[in-house]
Amino acid sequence: MKSDWGGAGHFKLEHTFQNLLPALGHTREYQEIARRMLDLSVRFQQRYADFAQQSNDIGQSALSAMQKRSAAGGTAPRSPAALYDEWIDCAEQAYAQAAHGEAFTRSLADLCNILSAFKIERGKMLEALARQLDLPSRAEVDSLHRQIRGLTDAVNRAASKPPKPKARKPREARKPRKPGRRTGK
Amino acid sequence: MSAPSDLFARLLQDAAALREQGEAAVRALRNIGDVQVGAAEKTCVLTDNKVRLFRYSPLARSANLPPLLICYAMVNRPYMLDLQPDRSLIRELLSLGVDVYLLDWGYPDGADRFTPLDEYICGHLGRCVDFVLEHNGIEALNLLGVCQGGTLSLCYAALEPQRIANLITMVTPVDFKTPENLLSKWAQHVDADLLTQSGNVSGEFLNLVYLALMPFRLTQQKYVHLINMQGDRAQLENFMRMEKWIFDSPDQPARAFREFLLWFYQENRLVRGELSLAARPVQLRNIQCPVLNIYAANDHLVPPSATIPLGVHVGSKNYTSLQIDTGHIGMYVSGKARKSVPEAIVRWLTERP
Repeated sequence: MKSDWGGAGHFKLEHTFQNLLPALGHTREYQEIARRMLDLSVRFQQRYADFAQQSNDIGQSALSAMQKRSAAGGTAPRSPAALYDEWIDCAEQAYAQAAHGEAFTRSLADLCNILSAFKIERGKMLEALARQLDLPSRAEVDSLHRQIRGLTDAVNRAASKPPKPKARKPREARKPRKPGRRTGK
Repeated sequence: MSAPSDLFARLLQDAAALREQGEAAVRALRNIGDVQVGAAEKTCVLTDNKVRLFRYSPLARSANLPPLLICYAMVNRPYMLDLQPDRSLIRELLSLGVDVYLLDWGYPDGADRFTPLDEYICGHLGRCVDFVLEHNGIEALNLLGVCQGGTLSLCYAALEPQRIANLITMVTPVDFKTPENLLSKWAQHVDADLLTQSGNVSGEFLNLVYLALMPFRLTQQKYVHLINMQGDRAQLENFMRMEKWIFDSPDQPARAFREFLLWFYQENRLVRGELSLAARPVQLRNIQCPVLNIYAANDHLVPPSATIPLGVHVGSKNYTSLQIDTGHIGMYVSGKARKSVPEAIVRWLTERP
């Protein structure tokens, strides 16, 4: 019988997790975080494979450029150091050409965005663990920082306001009339 | 034409020589020890959270110019401007009689992650300007903004034009969307919210990005070239100082970094006239003071096309640009720039006291 794993060489993480039931039960929130992390890991691997392919193409272009240069330069022997510097020039030129392209730019940004998202999910896991151990969590510290930020802004605003003109001295309140002084009754 | 056996013998000879040079470099590197950075004497005159304002001790008779406040980038350490006695822009300025102040942004940490960009520009930079003005009893100073610090200085000068007598920008990005700007191209599809949601952006991450701009030169060739130094201690120490500076990158405060990435790199608000800081519009045309824009012809981080448009956008009728035939880092330490840049700055300032 053919194994579901398809042999060790064909193991793909995404196939293992794509048919799972939705997260259920007491630990469902943690399961969801774990699944998102797995999903991001898979996406990272896929994008990294694209990136590796592009890097490989750059290497090929650099080699071709080096061959062309050598052919153009004739058969004059060059020192290993000069050959190495020529190789670096060819490699940088090939790299620059690819690095300015949309495909490379997209790949880099995707890798960066996926890693950032992974970091956020990892933070949620650590947050939960910190709560379990009654340790101060990132969210608590952030909350304090926000409060301090707000207070700092308020102090700065108050300090930068021009001083208010001195308030006039309030007029003395009139003394109440003594009763019974009026005549004509 | 050489016979194949001659060629082979020569290659073997070259390889043996390279090996000897390499061994000498390794031996010398082992004995280098810790390198020191910072050459000129300075005093901290103001501390504002992690930001410190330094004043440098004079080295020559005063040139009778308003004090010069240097605002460096937040993404690197400012000691690049004063790396060692014979590679120090600041020392050169001091020896020409300039009264130099330096704003050091420090190393932001988790407590700064919610600090907005306007707090750095209108708050910290503003308070440093206020201090220098008050301390010297003057109404306007000279401001020198370097790299990202130049962009921050432009914003400040646009908001508070009456406080700036003369503005100098050095390797400063202004138009963030030009075809040669690789860093900007890479930044376009990065999700700024995702990147900064889980905290500050690490200096290691930024270093990786900078290295990726020219990976073969910056991660291989420069180390291979160490063997050409033939174990020369002074050259190796220079190399190690640069190495220290390159990788001594502060983490970037999340909120301020998000705003810089989004507003400058992705939306190019500065040149589009759509930037607001602290609820005040930042219009480059408000900069009416004389402006000197110094840029590097072979800058891979801030290509000339990113900085040359400054002349079109500032309101000043007194705009000068100066191109130096070097790269971004060469602007601070190369032989070409070492003397010519400080001399050009002082000459320009002296013509506009």
